[in-house]
Amino acid sequence: MNEGAIQTIRLAGELDLSRKREIRDAFALSNGARAVLLDLSEVVYADSTALTELLRFCAMAQGANIPIAILIAAPQFLRLVQYAGLATAFKVFQERDEALRYLSECAGT
Amino acid sequence: MPRRIHWPLIVSFAFLAVVIGVLVAGGLWVQSTVANSFLDAERIGTARLLVEEVLRRQLDEETGIRGYAVARRATLLQPYYEARTALPATITRVMGVLENLHLQSAVAALEDAARTNRRWLQEVAVPLLASRSSRPALQFRGKRLVDRVRTDIASIETLLAGREAGSRLRAQQAVAWVDLFAIGAISAFLVAALIFAFQQYRLGLRVEEERTKAEEQRRRSAENRAAYVAEKRIADTLQRAFVQNVLPEPAMLRLGATYLPAAEEAKVGGDWYDALELPDDRVLLAIGDVTGHGIEAAVTMNRTRQLLISCALIDPNPGPVLERVNNELMRNESPMVTAIAALVNARDCEVAYAAAGHPPAVLLEPGKRARLLEVGSLPLGVLRDAAYQTHRVRSTAGALLVLYTDGAVEHSRDVVEGEELLLAAVESAAQASEADVAAAICHRIFADRKAADDVAILTLRFADGANGSTVIVEHDSQTLVAGGGRAGLV
Repeated sequence: MNEGAIQTIRLAGELDLSRKREIRDAFALSNGARAVLLDLSEVVYADSTALTELLRFCAMAQGANIPIAILIAAPQFLRLVQYAGLATAFKVFQERDEALRYLSECAGT
Repeated sequence: MPRRIHWPLIVSFAFLAVVIGVLVAGGLWVQSTVANSFLDAERIGTARLLVEEVLRRQLDEETGIRGYAVARRATLLQPYYEARTALPATITRVMGVLENLHLQSAVAALEDAARTNRRWLQEVAVPLLASRSSRPALQFRGKRLVDRVRTDIASIETLLAGREAGSRLRAQQAVAWVDLFAIGAISAFLVAALIFAFQQYRLGLRVEEERTKAEEQRRRSAENRAAYVAEKRIADTLQRAFVQNVLPEPAMLRLGATYLPAAEEAKVGGDWYDALELPDDRVLLAIGDVTGHGIEAAVTMNRTRQLLISCALIDPNPGPVLERVNNELMRNESPMVTAIAALVNARDCEVAYAAAGHPPAVLLEPGKRARLLEVGSLPLGVLRDAAYQTHRVRSTAGALLVLYTDGAVEHSRDVVEGEELLLAAVESAAQASEADVAAAICHRIFADRKAADDVAILTLRFADGANGSTVIVEHDSQTLVAGGGRAGLV
């Protein structure tokens, strides 16, 4: 699978109600995307509104059989997504290489 | 827009300036014309008097010479000599005045008269004085010269009269212009006044328009405010009605709770807790938080609570309870809900719990540090048929279990820091053995600060007795490790 078919969604900083539109716009599957890399490595906080959008997007991608890898670096945000069961239900990585390797493997099989 | 408002004003100001300039220049012109005419009249008057004097002196000379020629008496020559001495000076004065009046033909006539007079003196008067006889031929010649002088003088008078008439006419015309100026000025001011009035009218219309717009905005914002206040009141009422004020008092357990509403009115949300006494010394604890605020959150909260209690009455096992509640919520596109359901057995100090996207419960056992219980499942209302695992913890008598909503750890937006603060608050509040542990924890976290989000805290303390404390994971599913869990929900 080539890199072009991996859709990268990148968000940074604190995700809250004030950025709802931006977040909702970002969480959209582009046509022809066969895998999604959700780069949240620079996110430090997400309120329940943003988490809802994130979870619903992941659930939607999973429902469409599109592999999704979530990249998270900040410990406080990692803790938040642990609460939310994100790591239980979806693939969460702390290293970009691992995330890309996972997506390639998914495409290979 | 402002430019379009101002240009007629600028035009009318410019128009007025031009009109005033013309009026001032015209006024100066009229004034100088009339003043010149007055000066002319004065000069003409002087010239007339002097011309009369010339005539009189000329007459004195002539009558003196004629009388002497007839009677030969020296006394009769007195007026002649006087006139002869004075006449040149008088003529010079007349000349000056006529030159000032720029009457060149009159000057020429006067020069001719002066010349003729000199000729009369040389050719008639002097020979007559020297002669012994009356010399009629000489007298005849004298009469002709005198007539010529008189003709010159008469022509000067005619010219003066003509000049006087012309000057008066110019003055009259100039004065007539004053009327025109007056009419012009009045018209100009009328036009300017009309422009100003029109402008004022237009500005008035605009001011009125702005006022209407502002009023409309005020009205709308008042309506919005009223709607907001109404919604807030409804949400508040629902929230108050839902918060359980009186907790059960089961044997061997002590329950406590506190609810701290958000500082911002709009943020009053869907936090709740419940404690339900069940047979066999068991208690079902539930705590949850609905995403969002207002009426929808309050309604979803109520529905989730009822579902949770109904499901617990069928089978109080926490995992299956949350699974059922989740599927019910999924059927009705509900907002996301985070919750923990815990089934506490007072007899053996066992806590069986399941979490759905909710911050972990805190357990503080005697002689140990406070710790967070393991969590890690999706919130309710996200994924159909999501699995919720039941965790079991065997605790000891005197242990304190604390359930709370995210407001208690997310106040700084750094959850790691929030958790540390919470654990410290729990230990501190438990040590102080205050009657209301929940309120004490809340106070230690927030002190006098306002909470940005609602905070609910539910505490449970096991009465003294003794039992071990271990975590047992029910089902055969894998142990959940953050970041490494497999998607096992499909």
